[in-house]
Amino acid sequence: MSVGDQPVKINHAFREELGLVLEGDGVNYCYQCGACVGDCPSARFSEDFNPRQIMLAVLYGLEDEVVGPDSPVWQCSNCFTCFDRCPQDVKPIEVIIALKNLMGERGIVPKGVDRLVDGLMQTGRSAKVTSATHRRREELGLPPLPELDLEPMRKLLEAAETEGEEPE
Amino acid sequence: MKYAFFPGCMIQIRYPQMEAAVRKTVPELGIELVDLPELGCCPDPVFFKSLHKLDWLTLAARNLVIAERAGLDYVTICSGCTETLAEAAHLLNDDADLRARVNERLATIDMSYEGTVHARHLITVLRDEVGLDAVTATVKKPLEGVRIAVHYGCHLLKPRAIMQVDDPDHPTIFEDMLAAIGATPVDHTERIICCGKSCRDCDLPEQMTRTVLESIHAADVDIMGVICPSCFDSFDTGQLKLARKFKLGFSIPPVYYFQLLAVAQGLPAEAVGLDRHKIKPEKLLVGAGAG
Repeated sequence: MSVGDQPVKINHAFREELGLVLEGDGVNYCYQCGACVGDCPSARFSEDFNPRQIMLAVLYGLEDEVVGPDSPVWQCSNCFTCFDRCPQDVKPIEVIIALKNLMGERGIVPKGVDRLVDGLMQTGRSAKVTSATHRRREELGLPPLPELDLEPMRKLLEAAETEGEEPE
Repeated sequence: MKYAFFPGCMIQIRYPQMEAAVRKTVPELGIELVDLPELGCCPDPVFFKSLHKLDWLTLAARNLVIAERAGLDYVTICSGCTETLAEAAHLLNDDADLRARVNERLATIDMSYEGTVHARHLITVLRDEVGLDAVTATVKKPLEGVRIAVHYGCHLLKPRAIMQVDDPDHPTIFEDMLAAIGATPVDHTERIICCGKSCRDCDLPEQMTRTVLESIHAADVDIMGVICPSCFDSFDTGQLKLARKFKLGFSIPPVYYFQLLAVAQGLPAEAVGLDRHKIKPEKLLVGAGAG
């Protein structure tokens, strides 16, 4: 990731869009100290992932670099070390999660992640129940898995979709 | 001590041996777990949160309300569930506008988040509420001579200000709990690095998992201790894949803390599924501490 050689014109519209995602606006306080980098495990093992550089690209509003198909944000380990290290309370991990939310809105989602999220939406659970699940639980003397009433969770997600719309 | 029980999807469905270990060990410790059958996924703090953050918070808030209505605090047994529920409560308690926004959604199912519920990992409850001595008092077969290296994982400890469990850079809670059941905790150089399970679009998961495994291998141990089903997954099936790909030439059995506690309390290893692990902890199967 690089901010290039040309003078940068800040893309404020993109920063405003990011700011609408919960905690996406923390980046505004980033002063580029790099405290987020030293103990970042993804930065340690990958040349493409550097949370300070991602924050800088966001500050410039370099949309393609941070939410385009080649964005490195999915290399984040979600370990929260940068959250703890940041002296400005930027919460780089949460800015990165906000960027992933925007990628999702643009339909750019890594293989497998959408399947996992769809499964959760359909079953209320994030792992797949099979006949082996029930058998194994019984062998271990565990109570049967409760049948889940999905209606309340569906209603909450529907409420989210209609939020902001005018009532009919 | 009575708690609402949040077992989590991954443990209930993929690693029920961990749930069995918890259910079979806590009565001895004076803990009563109350099942709440309407609980959904926490939801997962990595993938679901990464696609729909406000939905993630809303579904987490619903889970929090379910315990509030029961008048109980949560104990969780997965680090991911712990992180989601603790972070959701923190966000909602810290920001009145956000809470109002989420409560507007919850109102569609006649719920309201009040901010009276705490969620803590069971291992934290054991240290802080039960106490190390009381844990030791339940041990019938101390794990004497069993050398165990700890993999902390991330979400039990971080973010520090929200989780409030231990110093994430120099944690001791896991080693203290191992010493309490007679095992020998063994230090290693990569004790607090991430297992890498959440990284996508890259080879980082295998690099991180391998780094942890090689660090533990160098420490010459019998077992690696884990506290989270996602980390377990990395070091169980994940280790088998790595071993084939990189011809590692060693294998280290990962074991969940409460399975260790179960064996120390005198339960047979089979009762908590240790005989069915892909990488078998031979030291426990042949009779730990039997001497």
